[in-house]
Amino acid sequence: MTLFSYHPGDTLWHTLDVRCKCLLMCLLSLAVLKTGLPGNIICLCVLMGILKMLGVGPVKLVTQLKCFLLLLTLIFFCRWAVTPGHPMVTLHGFSLTRQGFASAGLVSLRFLVVMLLGLILTVTTRSMEIKAAVQWFFKPVPFIPEKRVAVMVGLALKFMPLILDNAREVTHAVNARCGNLRKNPVRRLVNLAWPLLKKTFQSADDLSLAMQARCYSENRTDARFFSNGKEGWVVGLTFIFCAGIVLMG
Amino acid sequence: MNGTPMDVSIKPIIYSALFIALISIGAMIAVPVGPVPIVLQNMFVLLAGLILPPAWAAGCVAVYLLMGFAGLPVFAGGTSGIGKVFGPTGGYLLSYLPAAFLTAVISGRAAKSLVRDCGAAIAGMAVMYMFGVPWLKWVLAVSWGKALAAGMYPFVPGAVLKIIAAVIIARKLRPLIRF
Repeated sequence: MTLFSYHPGDTLWHTLDVRCKCLLMCLLSLAVLKTGLPGNIICLCVLMGILKMLGVGPVKLVTQLKCFLLLLTLIFFCRWAVTPGHPMVTLHGFSLTRQGFASAGLVSLRFLVVMLLGLILTVTTRSMEIKAAVQWFFKPVPFIPEKRVAVMVGLALKFMPLILDNAREVTHAVNARCGNLRKNPVRRLVNLAWPLLKKTFQSADDLSLAMQARCYSENRTDARFFSNGKEGWVVGLTFIFCAGIVLMG
Repeated sequence: MNGTPMDVSIKPIIYSALFIALISIGAMIAVPVGPVPIVLQNMFVLLAGLILPPAWAAGCVAVYLLMGFAGLPVFAGGTSGIGKVFGPTGGYLLSYLPAAFLTAVISGRAAKSLVRDCGAAIAGMAVMYMFGVPWLKWVLAVSWGKALAAGMYPFVPGAVLKIIAAVIIARKLRPLIRF
């Protein structure tokens, strides 16, 4: 089980209505964009606290998000290097600026906060619930086949781990045939990418056969939404929190 | 079970979902080089345009954007949220919709010539920069020169490679896909 898959539980965040969770995500991601460094630090602390409550502690987070944290570090240094301003450190005529440090810190923090928001949604919500929420949001919109859109979302969420599993299998198979020892990087990439794409599209073909064999129809029973009755409180407190961090600047 | 079975072909739905997953995974592999990161998602957007019919190509990109706006971590570097639209990369994200549609329209359904595929992919990539660079200029409030330097020039060699890769992959994948 990866960090981005559903973790079963009965916390407030698990039992919250999924439509409410989606709206809160939109609201918080907008607030994060409009606030500065202090607001983002507060938001990060709150999100880390929520993740700890959900059983995703800092150690597990760092272990499983190694690649993302590496990317974040790269973003930080790239941003620091390209932003002009008053020099802070000068190495071989190349200056890293104070303004660059502040700007890089803010951008990296925003990336991290937004990523943690998405993580909380995926950790506490089943893909079926997200599919049902998409269908519900699109019901009043004319000319959009909401049931088809919901099926596409549900299938896409199932395909993502499948592609990653296929990538792992293909990598092992290529390495077992000493494919990783090839000197030509293009050839190495082709040897990895083409079998992966072929395998993935064949899995999609198998899935379509399986769904046709089970008489797939768009006219299915609509999903039911479960609510814990605390949505009003949570939305109200989130509004106050968002207003607070935006005003803080 | 209510309703008639097989009232819509399932294959385009499944292939669209697969392309949404591929675009999302392509976005997770992001290399930051300034305000706009290098990602593989635009290559998969072009691929969707080259393989899917126009309505399905645009539809799959629309659903991808919707998933990201709803909070699922499918945008560059595993980010998400409606706030991304108002950021420097918002124009690039929104451009995927017309880019996929235009690529699919130019690529056509019948005769799939190499020249037509290349033309379609180039047009699609051009649309991405036509939307992305002005948006970047507007959001960062910089001159056209700076916007082009931050949002287009460093990506041109990569864009050419992505166009070549998308055309090659599309031509190899088409025999495997039957709608």
